[in-house]
Amino acid sequence: MAGLVQFSERMSLDRLLLLLATLAFVGGLVHAVWALRRGSWQESRWHWVPMLVGFGLQSAFLYIRGQVHGRCPMTSLFEVFIFIGWSVVLLYFAVGAAYRLSLLGAFTAPVVATMQGLSLLLLEDKVAPKKVPNVWLEMHAALALIAYAAFALACVTGVMYLVQARLLKKHRIAALFHQLPPIHDLALAIRRLALSGFLLLTVALLSAIPLNIPAAKDKLMVIWMVWGLYGVLNFLMWRHAISARLTAWLAVVGFVVPFVSLWLVNAR
Amino acid sequence: MSAPGIICLGVNYRTTPVEVRERVAFAESKLSETVREVKNLPGLGEAVIVSTCNRVEIYAAQQEGRVEGHSTLLRYLEEHFALAPAQAEGLVCYRLPAEETARHLFRVVSGLDSMVLGETEIFGQVKAAYKVALEAGATGRDLNKLFQRAFNVGKLVREKTAIQRGSTSVGSVAVELAEKMFGSLKSCRVMLIGAGEMSRVCAQSLVSRGASSVIVSNRSYDKAVELAAEMKGRAMKFDEWEGALHEVDIIISSTSAPHFVIQQEMIERVMKTRRGHPLFLIDIAVPRDIDPAVNEIEDAYLYDIDALSAIAEDGRRERERQLALCEKLIEEQMEKFGLLSGSVAPRGAGMIQSSEASQANA
Repeated sequence: MAGLVQFSERMSLDRLLLLLATLAFVGGLVHAVWALRRGSWQESRWHWVPMLVGFGLQSAFLYIRGQVHGRCPMTSLFEVFIFIGWSVVLLYFAVGAAYRLSLLGAFTAPVVATMQGLSLLLLEDKVAPKKVPNVWLEMHAALALIAYAAFALACVTGVMYLVQARLLKKHRIAALFHQLPPIHDLALAIRRLALSGFLLLTVALLSAIPLNIPAAKDKLMVIWMVWGLYGVLNFLMWRHAISARLTAWLAVVGFVVPFVSLWLVNAR
Repeated sequence: MSAPGIICLGVNYRTTPVEVRERVAFAESKLSETVREVKNLPGLGEAVIVSTCNRVEIYAAQQEGRVEGHSTLLRYLEEHFALAPAQAEGLVCYRLPAEETARHLFRVVSGLDSMVLGETEIFGQVKAAYKVALEAGATGRDLNKLFQRAFNVGKLVREKTAIQRGSTSVGSVAVELAEKMFGSLKSCRVMLIGAGEMSRVCAQSLVSRGASSVIVSNRSYDKAVELAAEMKGRAMKFDEWEGALHEVDIIISSTSAPHFVIQQEMIERVMKTRRGHPLFLIDIAVPRDIDPAVNEIEDAYLYDIDALSAIAEDGRRERERQLALCEKLIEEQMEKFGLLSGSVAPRGAGMIQSSEASQANA
């Protein structure tokens, strides 16, 4: 107990909140895995509790950082990842409720926990000096990050689709099969998330034009590449030119590109 | 301890053959009137009648100091249904005392006493029976308490165990798989190639869950017409079904052809028109009708009779495994509600034959 107090004293309050948020997501995941293995997972509002607790703690972290910076807390790669994690959980609440995908939380939790855990462990967390906020610039950045969050959730839903489709193909009708949603619903969720992300990114990029932000050529190239990738994916989905399975794969693989690009853009 | 005057008298699919059960089944339209009659029998103060295809049970609360409730109910059954001596002879009833009545009702609403272990329909049937009795003014403090507790136990068993998970018959497996592919079956179209009994069962299960239309094609066109009429579907000549494959989401094949009727290339062509929507193929024929290579095609899911049967068997085994957990939960609830008297009567105790009881109480 004394060790814990010492540890919390050494850690700033905002980072402590973030650590607790990460633990809440891990807790949600551990419970889901335990319940699935035991065969006792049931559709229930209680599954939202760890996600809600984690989301509350994430929000508290972002609020404190916002107060420190006097603007949106997106001043470093560390904060950018936390903001994306927060947006992913926010979208999960919207999508999970709309499609009754309560198990989506079990798939979302590890993604958010990993992002936050790695950020806490690996990324430098420098507090940027206070600046006068530029509302348009912040809106542009926030929209772009929420778009990335939509791509992240499309990826998570894609994983669920691929797992369920494989169980159906291989005739493995086990506990996870009963809990995963129908592949039709998952395919629809992927389509809508990829489209929402693409539209948000488009608005974010268009809103940057009048800002005349000085950006390196390679950064711009990467961002437009991500936009192009999801543009092509959405076009192929709209034309029904690819199978649902391939769409799910593209949603999963496509998620890696924005994140690598994000790393590149912010690391410079 | 539960109210000592609560009793249950009944017959079910285990104790009594259907030809006797149907003789003592209460008409749903007259249930309200009947339950009032039972409540007003000498020595009784409350009653609920549960009458389904698998069981006829009367739950009643005896007035204080009365003990002849079972015999009264049995006589009522004999008189109400005007049973001939031979029929009364064949009527094997169970008569349960208070504690066993509570345990039995908890097991019934949890689906543990059903023919298909863990089925959920019985919960609604008991609830409906209780509602009729409640509205008829046939229930009172004792039975209200018992039934409310039973519904809570039924819900708990379903929440805390996997007794209702999985499917236990080929038809229900087909429905479950279809629902995991298409979500709602409301817009699903089904094609039957061959009009065998098993494919009919599968199609009926799908239609009962909302499948929107059925096409039936059979070598004997008359049989196709007959089955299509039964399913409110459309009959098709046997040489025409191939042209309609692109119209349907689920194909059930059960012809007696000695070779594959549905080839890989056929389904490859169909999938090009399905714009990424899945196609569910059920092959019930032996020898098989559908080339197994069809399962390799993207978004096409093929299940043959062995695969469906294996899933149904797994479902049955899983429910059997859950049974002990359910029984434990019920005992815990019996203890929590103070319904245990310390000794548990062995199952089957209290079984009486109608004529014996009548003589004993004469």
